[in-house]
Amino acid sequence: MNLSQKIRNVVLRELRIWARRPIYLLGSVFVMAFCTIFYLSFLRDGVPSDLPIAVVDMDRSSVSRNFSRQLGATQLGKVIPYEDYSSARRDLQGGRITAVCLIPEGFARDIQSQRQPTCSFYVNGLYFLGGSLAWKDLLTMVNLTAGAVQREVLRMKGVPESRIGGLLRPVDIDVHQIGNATMNYGANLANMMIPGMLQMVIIIILIYSLGAEMKYGTGRHLLQVTEHDIFAAVAGKMTVYTLLFTMIGWSIEMILYKWMHFPLAGRLWEMLLACFLLVIASESVAVLIVGCVPVCRFALSIGALYSVLGLSLTGFTLPVVVMPRALQGLSMMYPLRHYYDLYVQAGIFGSGFGAWYPQVVILLLFCLLPFAVMPRLAHAYTYLDYERN
Amino acid sequence: MKGTDRYLGRWFHDVLDIFNRELKQILHDGGVMIIFIVAGFLYPILYNFVYKNGLLEDTPIAVVEQASCSDTRRLIREMDATREISIAYRCVDMEEAKALFQQRKVNGIIFFPADFGDKLAHDETAVFSIYADMSSFLYYKNLLMGSEFVMLHEINAIKIERYAASGLTDAEADAAVRTVRYEDVNPYNRAFSYSIFLISAILMLIIQQVMFYGMSMSVGTMREENRSFASLPDSLAGHGVGRVVLGRGAVYWLIFMLIGIYVACIMPAIFRFPQRGLYGDILVLLVIFVTDCVFFSMAWSTLVTRRESAFILFLFMSPVCVFLTGFSWPDTAFPGVWKVFSYLFPSTFGCKAFINLNTAGADLEIVSPLLRALVVQTGIYFVLACLAIYVENFVLKRKNTIEEKRAAVRERVESRISDRIGGNFDAGI
Repeated sequence: MNLSQKIRNVVLRELRIWARRPIYLLGSVFVMAFCTIFYLSFLRDGVPSDLPIAVVDMDRSSVSRNFSRQLGATQLGKVIPYEDYSSARRDLQGGRITAVCLIPEGFARDIQSQRQPTCSFYVNGLYFLGGSLAWKDLLTMVNLTAGAVQREVLRMKGVPESRIGGLLRPVDIDVHQIGNATMNYGANLANMMIPGMLQMVIIIILIYSLGAEMKYGTGRHLLQVTEHDIFAAVAGKMTVYTLLFTMIGWSIEMILYKWMHFPLAGRLWEMLLACFLLVIASESVAVLIVGCVPVCRFALSIGALYSVLGLSLTGFTLPVVVMPRALQGLSMMYPLRHYYDLYVQAGIFGSGFGAWYPQVVILLLFCLLPFAVMPRLAHAYTYLDYERN
Repeated sequence: MKGTDRYLGRWFHDVLDIFNRELKQILHDGGVMIIFIVAGFLYPILYNFVYKNGLLEDTPIAVVEQASCSDTRRLIREMDATREISIAYRCVDMEEAKALFQQRKVNGIIFFPADFGDKLAHDETAVFSIYADMSSFLYYKNLLMGSEFVMLHEINAIKIERYAASGLTDAEADAAVRTVRYEDVNPYNRAFSYSIFLISAILMLIIQQVMFYGMSMSVGTMREENRSFASLPDSLAGHGVGRVVLGRGAVYWLIFMLIGIYVACIMPAIFRFPQRGLYGDILVLLVIFVTDCVFFSMAWSTLVTRRESAFILFLFMSPVCVFLTGFSWPDTAFPGVWKVFSYLFPSTFGCKAFINLNTAGADLEIVSPLLRALVVQTGIYFVLACLAIYVENFVLKRKNTIEEKRAAVRERVESRISDRIGGNFDAGI
């Protein structure tokens, strides 16, 4: 039997296992379909809108009413009027509203007489996105109000209309968001969350597939169909799962960039390549875990702990540079981190092969990991001398 | 009266018996213990460690300055002085800055066009551009905040100058520029620290998920060993569903009250995390939340048939639950389906209640709607857990009687056949 025949045997054997036990396809296809649907529909708005902002209007003048009407008309905010500060504060503490805006008594009068009234706003920064967006919204509104008043004053003083613009806003910023021009939080999160879930599913399923051979004592049979060639056995298993997960991963990439039209500066094939590399690198990590700990349940527990932590350590929410040094090194041990780096180069900057080839090399290096544990795995399969379960 | 006494005595005896059996089962199970100890005790530490420095400071920025006037130099100096930005490179042109950007040596570019100084001198609006790396929103936030603070500060200085030039006195100009003052207060998370926001939400979730995976593993093991977690002691004759649920639940409840106090009270203290709530209030929340989690795990773990199924089929729910708590993506923006879906999990209410109690310093009355939701959920899951055990028990018993009948029939048939073929049945087969 040559190598390709052996691998074919393993592949056919694995397909028979799938047919007998639906958990493999349920755990991969169904789970990934659910995750894709969840993240894409959950974050479909891109930017949250209608954040509840409490306005405590103690002035009750036309100016303050106008202010809260305009605040309610912004895309981000939805005004909820409150009678007094303390009830608004309680709801802020209870997380039912994202911010409180307090308009003091005599607001309109003080503006008219140039006594500089102070508007206060309280933001709940514990609800990160909602809090910071509400804060931004309030800040914009206050500046606009101040600008409107200034315009009145300047007109009163007889400043020509052509000069008012320069007087009101001497300096301005022209903001360019590279890689996500529409500020779509949904795209930013889903782009990495879904591949992150893929990494998790790959590691768990492959550990289970390899571990189940020990758990049910079928390791020897696996080696029989490959004439005791552990390399062919592992390669065969990886072939089936690479095919399965690459198909899943590519469908996801197509959905993200072709169907949802998430911003992508580079080419689609670059992301497909990245996805394929993510698949094989994650599989290699799974083989390494099973090989080091050839007990199905321990390997699964370790795989679960490892992959859940990966979502945080990849650094697409809190950048890796902020983490303690030791963890920055640890984050390199996750294929997802390199997938992310590749995505930044290819998807955000569109900087081409010259910029992302180091990530390809690193992800390919992950594929060497299984070789380190193959003898150990062969031993475990043959003698089954570890705890079964 | 005596009958009641006897019943109560019996009841407690049974609960204690089931309690002991379950505790032994857990303690003897290495996999479950790993989950409880590693995940329950180490995960909070790890997460605290990952998010220890929740603030991204001094994001490196490249500056392309084509105006070269004193105003831009001052602006750049002030930007460099902010907490958010650090001017790492000064570039001659955009090409050079772009190269640095792509090499990820900087996370943003600030560009001052050649006419910047002229426009300022002519009392027009001078515009400079910023280019932010959107690979993480924190880079963008830093670049925008750093440059905007400086801009607002500068604007006021320039405006006062210009107004004075238009014939206003200094005091008049100041009043005209700052017509409305504002003060912004972010009382619970002053610097928008990522760690304060994330850790306070994730701690409760750890309790729920660890308990669910642990219990599912234990249930799966029993199923694999052909024992049912639902089996009632023989003496109960099928009437002790409540006793099984409470007896088994008590074990997990005790273990997770310990883990819960560690996670919710000791952990934040070790990492000097804000603890603005009262200890008693947090304990009340823990009692309700852990009870809810026990019945939640019990109800759902009936679906687990094998030891590993919990990980394979439900591990992906952990990040999903994080989103469903609504602390990152505001729950007012949830699509309706997912809002209803989020009510399935204790964490949806528990995490929020903990954030509000512990980190925002709310009292029990403020979080009472959340606590009420938890109590209702506990009731529903208790009924579901009982029902699951009742059904499973019923099915098991039916299976037993059916099998007994089958065995009896088989025996009768065999004996008849063996009678007919003269006792050589076995040999004949």
